[in-house]
Amino acid sequence: MDDALVRAGRALRLALLIALALLFLVPFYLLLRNGLSTEQDITSPEWTFFPSGLRWGNVRELFDDSSVPFARSLLNSALIAVATTLGTLVLASLAGYGLARIPYRHADKVFYAILGTLMVPAAVTFVPSFVLVSSLGWISTLRGLIVPTLFSAFACFVFRQYFLGFPRELEDAAQVDGLGYWRTYWLVVVPNARPVFAAVGTIVFIGAWNAFLWPLVIGQDQSAWTVQVALSSFTTAQVVRLHELFVAAAVSILPLLAVFLCFQRWIVAGVERSGID
Amino acid sequence: MTISRRALLAMGVIAGGGLLTACGSNTGRGDGGGSGPTLSHWYHQYGETGTQQAVNRYAAAYKKAHVTVQWRPGDYDQQTAAALLTDSGPDVFEVNGPTLDQIQGGQVVDLTDLLDGVKDDFNPAVLTPKTYEGKIWGIPQTIDMQMLYYRKSLLKDAGLEPPDTLDALVDAAHKLTTKKVKGLFLGNDGGAGVLGGTPLYAAGLQLVTDDGKPGFDDPEAARALGKIHQLYAGKSLLLGAPADWADPSAFLQGLTAMQWTGLWALPQVQKELGDDFGVLPFPKDGPSGRPSVPVGAYGAAVSARSRNKEAAKEYVKWLWVEQTGDQEDFALSYGFHIPARISLAKKAAKLKTGAAADAVSFATDHGYAQPLLWTPAAQTAYQDALSRIIKDGANPDDELKTVLRKVSAELARVQKKKP
Amino acid sequence: MSRRRTLWFWIFVGPFAAGLALFTYVPLLWSVGLSFFDAHNTVTPTHFVGVDNYTAMLSDDAFLASLRTFLLFTAFIVPATYVLALALALMVNRVRRARAFFRSVFFLPAACSYVVAALIWKMSIFNGVRFGLANAVLDFFGADPVAWLSTTDPPWYWLVIVTVRLWLQAGFYMILFLAGLQRINPVLYEAAAVDGARPGWQVLRHITLPQLRATSVAVVLLLVINAFQAFDEFYNLLSDARGYPPYARPPLVYLYYTALGQGQNLGLGSAGAVILALIIAVVTVGQARWFGLGRRNSDG
Repeated sequence: MDDALVRAGRALRLALLIALALLFLVPFYLLLRNGLSTEQDITSPEWTFFPSGLRWGNVRELFDDSSVPFARSLLNSALIAVATTLGTLVLASLAGYGLARIPYRHADKVFYAILGTLMVPAAVTFVPSFVLVSSLGWISTLRGLIVPTLFSAFACFVFRQYFLGFPRELEDAAQVDGLGYWRTYWLVVVPNARPVFAAVGTIVFIGAWNAFLWPLVIGQDQSAWTVQVALSSFTTAQVVRLHELFVAAAVSILPLLAVFLCFQRWIVAGVERSGID
Repeated sequence: MTISRRALLAMGVIAGGGLLTACGSNTGRGDGGGSGPTLSHWYHQYGETGTQQAVNRYAAAYKKAHVTVQWRPGDYDQQTAAALLTDSGPDVFEVNGPTLDQIQGGQVVDLTDLLDGVKDDFNPAVLTPKTYEGKIWGIPQTIDMQMLYYRKSLLKDAGLEPPDTLDALVDAAHKLTTKKVKGLFLGNDGGAGVLGGTPLYAAGLQLVTDDGKPGFDDPEAARALGKIHQLYAGKSLLLGAPADWADPSAFLQGLTAMQWTGLWALPQVQKELGDDFGVLPFPKDGPSGRPSVPVGAYGAAVSARSRNKEAAKEYVKWLWVEQTGDQEDFALSYGFHIPARISLAKKAAKLKTGAAADAVSFATDHGYAQPLLWTPAAQTAYQDALSRIIKDGANPDDELKTVLRKVSAELARVQKKKP
Repeated sequence: MSRRRTLWFWIFVGPFAAGLALFTYVPLLWSVGLSFFDAHNTVTPTHFVGVDNYTAMLSDDAFLASLRTFLLFTAFIVPATYVLALALALMVNRVRRARAFFRSVFFLPAACSYVVAALIWKMSIFNGVRFGLANAVLDFFGADPVAWLSTTDPPWYWLVIVTVRLWLQAGFYMILFLAGLQRINPVLYEAAAVDGARPGWQVLRHITLPQLRATSVAVVLLLVINAFQAFDEFYNLLSDARGYPPYARPPLVYLYYTALGQGQNLGLGSAGAVILALIIAVVTVGQARWFGLGRRNSDG
């Protein structure tokens, strides 16, 4: 009897899981459905599960639309996301390692000064940041879009926690071999810390790809638009073209989904061994 | 050896990042023609197809400077406001203003002399809010106006006449509402945003009096606003449409029998509905009421931070004062607007017949423009109260008392300050 | 020796610290400075007004209302995300087949931006007209369409706001919980079984939850910080060309309109921002103390 109960429980759990999974997939389904429909199909009074014909031409239309440089914005987003990810990983991991491993009288103070910035909402410093960046002459440049976002206290925090729990034996051996901090770090620590790099890298990449407010204000030239800015340009007050909006949204998340599915294993592994939790 | 290779790699990444960004710094400005200084000219993103190409064309035709056009999606007011604080903002920009604080803060340049001799040709309704202490701070581009569109066939089927009082509008909206079609669309927020001061003017009141006091300290105000709540409470309002009031989609998709939107939507409505629609001003309310429609104009302004102020002024004069052909094209070829120049408005054939002619006469007879003294802070306080009156059924008298207090404080603040 | 160490410390930490100082601390101090000035439309004001901006902000009904809105939002979203993420993790952890599939499905939304998610929610699921998905479902059951984002009574907009955040966030926290679950020693479960603990609630309460304590603390902290910083989905769901409705307006949205929109009252906005940052700091530090996070490595 117990056995039957356990089995029933298991079946129930599976059913619930499947139901939840379907619910979580609904928005993706809507992206595809709306993105590949005609405007009339989307707004028709009767709900259609899938449009009569899938209009792959919508994708063409999106890239042919001369008023929105969508291809250019995808390229910009890719450049920004890659550069931001690499830069953040190098800067934050070095800082995290220094904080965790190199004895220094004021290390704790430095750490709390870094951690404290996590509590400052971006909107608080938004205007002065903007003025600062513009006084550097970085408006509408990739520099302006990338450099100010490279200093992620969150990434630094994760790296520090991870390195605190890193087995000391490896580094001690390296020190015995006469390697200084610098070489120990690149030779011994980094190769053995790949999961946390992958985890932080993915999170930073997603954040950079999805950032909206900063690129909107810094990327003033159309040629410096990111994909999120281009996307928001489809939702202007005056005319909304639903099918174009949705096909653009669908295209905009494809690169991320690819990155995500490839690195998912690493994120999990990284989270498991890092100090994120 | 691997050690230094790795270190080098790390350096390479950093250097590479620098290189990458260095390459990216040339963002390819330079689509305009002409020689001389480079001017950057900002527009908010217009919804009508062709507008962007048109403004690019105008800019390219200017010979005395190299004009680059920036087409800005998203929250345009916020972007210009932030950009005006810096040296890398626009030289010339269109603005739903300029606001009084921008003028008093010295952020925009005095353009009075650009209109020497032609000042009287600009429609005073939209020129006045751009004038402060006798000086002109923005050149009106075109006049936008809003009005009520209704489906003739639907009204006829319901046995209704086009409403000429606010009570009749409430009644008509109620009767036109069915399970699939709502009676009236005033925007997804229920009207608080787009109506603004319009119901007050319809009740014979105003936002700010000529001597700079709040113009709605009157029981009529509360009564008129309370009637908008009746529309909401009676479930006659369309809410949550994918496209907001500025887009005629909801009206064209048959989601609503009447919609409040702009004159700019007229060509599209005409194309899709043919004769089956009419237009109305916001109907009058109460004994001293009169119909009202809001008019306004984006103005071309020159940033005080521009490095080429004189060149920028010259360019603005060329485009928005001298190039009457372009002004006409801009006003009438991509959605309808009334030219800000009286002489151009008079000869615009497209505005002489049908609904367009009605719209022009509404604007002339019943148009009101938001006064310069009505600051964004006052607007926010009023709009919040209006939203609470409409949606929450808040007591209009109490809400308006709070608004009056805040607006009086704002008016006192800006009238004390001199530029 | 220690001087050399100090040098190495700064070689490692210096570039990051310098960047953070320039791009976070300089603007932060600038904001604090602005909050003591009458700064309309300028970031280099000259008219010093002392604490006027602070008193104005603290007696501003709309700002206080935005703080209440935020409290309400946090009080709901933090436990809701916590429970959903934990439930997903427990179920995914126990399922035998297609585990990677389920994990991916729940994690995938974390890749979407608030812009994209808000767009789907606002335009397709919860639009107020008959071709929205939610209204199509209602219609199927014969109910009238609902204007989800525009109705204040009942406040359906909360449903929209909360579900969008749940969809975007739950998967990420599920991964954290999954990682925590992996680390629980199976011996503990065997021992519990020997002691006669019934699988299910008892095991959950006496083994799993205590073992997940460190993860839980981190999740709650992150959730609270994120809730405080809520801006994107509110802005993308509820703002329109004419501004923002007076409801569901968290502090950041209110400050955005005060300082950054055409309002351009940078002094007042900065004062509000400083107040907000102080509240966040107090809450976060208080929370960390309460959970005992101050002790190093306590979370192993």
